[in-house]
Amino acid sequence: MDKNTIIRFEHVTKQYDDDPPVLDDVSFEIERGKFYTLLGPSGCGKTTILRLIAGFTEPTEGNIYFNGKVINNVPPNQRQVNTVFQDYALFPHLNVFENVAFGLRIKKMKESEIEVKVKEALRFVNLEGYENREINEMSGGQRQRVAIARAIVNEPEVLLLDEPLSALDLKLRTEMQYELRELQRRLGITFIFVTHDQEEALAMSDEIFVLNKGKIQQSGTPTDIYDEPINRFVAEFIGESNIVPGKMIKDFLVEFAGKQFECVDQGFHPNEPVEIVIRPEDLEITKRDHGKLQVRVDSLLFRGVHYEICCYDQDGNEWLVHSTKKVGVGDEIGLHFDPEAIHVMRLGETEEEFEKRLGAYHEVNHEK
Amino acid sequence: METIYQSNHRKIAAVLSVIPGFGQLYNRQYVKGILFFILAASFFVIFGDLLDIGLWGIVTLGTQVPRDHSIFLLVQGILSLIVIVFGLGFFAFNLYDAYKNGQKRDLGLRLNTLREQYRTLVDSGFPYLMISPGFILLVFVVIFPIIFVVLLAFTNYDLYHSPPAKLVDWVGFQNFVELVNLDLWRKTFINVLAWTIVWTFGATTLQIALGIFLAILVNQKDLKGKAIIRTIFILPWAVPAFVSILIFSGMFNESFGVINKTILAAFGIDSIPWMTDPFWTKVALILIQSWIGFPFIFTMTTGVLQAIPDELYEAATVDGATAWQKFTKITLPLVLYAVAPILITQYTFNFNNFNIIYLFNSGGPAVSGQNAGATDILISWIYRLTMTSAQYSKAAAITLLLSLFVMTVALWQFRKTKSFKEEDMM
Repeated sequence: MDKNTIIRFEHVTKQYDDDPPVLDDVSFEIERGKFYTLLGPSGCGKTTILRLIAGFTEPTEGNIYFNGKVINNVPPNQRQVNTVFQDYALFPHLNVFENVAFGLRIKKMKESEIEVKVKEALRFVNLEGYENREINEMSGGQRQRVAIARAIVNEPEVLLLDEPLSALDLKLRTEMQYELRELQRRLGITFIFVTHDQEEALAMSDEIFVLNKGKIQQSGTPTDIYDEPINRFVAEFIGESNIVPGKMIKDFLVEFAGKQFECVDQGFHPNEPVEIVIRPEDLEITKRDHGKLQVRVDSLLFRGVHYEICCYDQDGNEWLVHSTKKVGVGDEIGLHFDPEAIHVMRLGETEEEFEKRLGAYHEVNHEK
Repeated sequence: METIYQSNHRKIAAVLSVIPGFGQLYNRQYVKGILFFILAASFFVIFGDLLDIGLWGIVTLGTQVPRDHSIFLLVQGILSLIVIVFGLGFFAFNLYDAYKNGQKRDLGLRLNTLREQYRTLVDSGFPYLMISPGFILLVFVVIFPIIFVVLLAFTNYDLYHSPPAKLVDWVGFQNFVELVNLDLWRKTFINVLAWTIVWTFGATTLQIALGIFLAILVNQKDLKGKAIIRTIFILPWAVPAFVSILIFSGMFNESFGVINKTILAAFGIDSIPWMTDPFWTKVALILIQSWIGFPFIFTMTTGVLQAIPDELYEAATVDGATAWQKFTKITLPLVLYAVAPILITQYTFNFNNFNIIYLFNSGGPAVSGQNAGATDILISWIYRLTMTSAQYSKAAAITLLLSLFVMTVALWQFRKTKSFKEEDMM
């Protein structure tokens, strides 16, 4: 095992009573000092993973390793892990200083030492001078920081954050994204961040785990996941995408919307049915006859940075285009895209097979 | 900015209004002026006699028996005072109105027509119009008796100075001095005050502690049958307090009561003098009050407990807090902060909890050398003084002291409580 690995899940299953498992045979590794995000819709099991790491619940099957040791039954306070809760879970009857000092007081630390540590933690989250404030006098963003200070004052090796930004308004949320990322770099510890917001995940993470129905669908860097989603779920969950059925004629040639296109994917069986993903921003609007695809504009929505244009081709496939060019509703236009913009997904492929095929493809590309 | 007046109508109108209505007439508001004058005149016609007798009566409290009834004179005197306050209020409004309208004329502004005056009266005066019946009722039902008691405390109204046979006199602070100087009164006052305090803190604290303790116990996650347990614990609340007290009074009966005869006997314990020994009566009272009082605290605490998010406890678990630390550092402070104002009302309630004292043992047993029973609290002692020994003025004096005491404590406590300042704790 890599000595950089801090947490390892080995075939972990979590099941309550006879209900379908919340987590189904999940295995993954988490490395030291990185920013991880568990991304998925509600009920996908991401919070369960967090609670398993924190020690609030135990796996039904499988093992969880921390620094190489099984920690299935280790109580929460004996793990080098701390949690920032969704609603902050600050103690309303204590002021900022006492909230942060809570854990240290439980450990019966010396008063002078507590003072130093609390001040340092508050400085880390830019809350110096707020020691004597009451919690209900603080804004949402400030409460958030107090919650983080309370977690990091215990010097955990891993910090778990359970949708900590969901209660904040959009502007504050964006600010906190930068700050959390920055904080993680300064502290140099592992952050495991749970969210259902794909933008948050893409902006902050070193590595993302996309979860659905108790299984990890795909893991990788934000660009990997965005550019090469493994299946329909991931493609739809992360960003917006056009997904159409197609057929892989042979390597580097794919057929969809009644036409054949050059692409960069390979490793499929001849004439294998596949799904094609093209991101809306990779579609370029041209004159009707210059485009690779001919479509009719159905609707147009101004989004600020771009127009969101909804078109249909003659087969009835919907094409979503993000473009700064304005077009008229009902216009016949052409769509142009590069071969690199086409991403071909094999139906029902597991992550392992996907990695393998992708690896082979990279090698081939390299040789060329 | 200094206003420049073109004339001096405002001062002339105000001075003329010393006779109500004349200022308004001067301002050429004839209807209003006449109305004001008629009101003022009828005030003197209607209340003339009352004021005459009342003011004389409240000063002298009567000079001749049996013509003068001191207490009736006192009552008439208080009524006169109230009437005078209303009259002065009207007079002040009359002056103000004359001055204001005079000022308007000085500034060259047009005065409101009668119709406009009627409109403003109906529009802005409507709330006052609506609350005035309640306000007047309040004055006679609440303020009048308060004034009566305050004044009574400075008279010698008792069995030996009772009209119509005798006159009552003003005696200044004599009642208060006697409460301190005369042995009988001092001893009784100190004993009753001491027991009142012990009773208030003992009974209330016990019922609060019991309520909170049971609420936390029943709130445990893995407890089965919470609903039925909670229902049972709330039942004592459903029974009217006086019924519970009377039943307990029977149960604690020394010779026939089920507690001595059956329960204690089953454990081989001798009969306990629940009704005749001061100590045991006090114990019984505190136990009964805990029984009656805890369901309310229990219910409230249960509500507060359910509002504490689980995450708080998880956060504490991460920090390694033990169950006891979670209780003392999270549960208890949160519960106390949330219910503190209501706890104070519980203390003040028991401070004046006449029902249980009177219904259980009528404040008894009797104690030699004092004129209150062993379990009399201030309020029941006042009742005893008024209703059985006709010590009206002393009772009034004690009532004054008691009110001052309760008001001071209540005010101080409320200001001190955190939840008084911050309402959105959770």
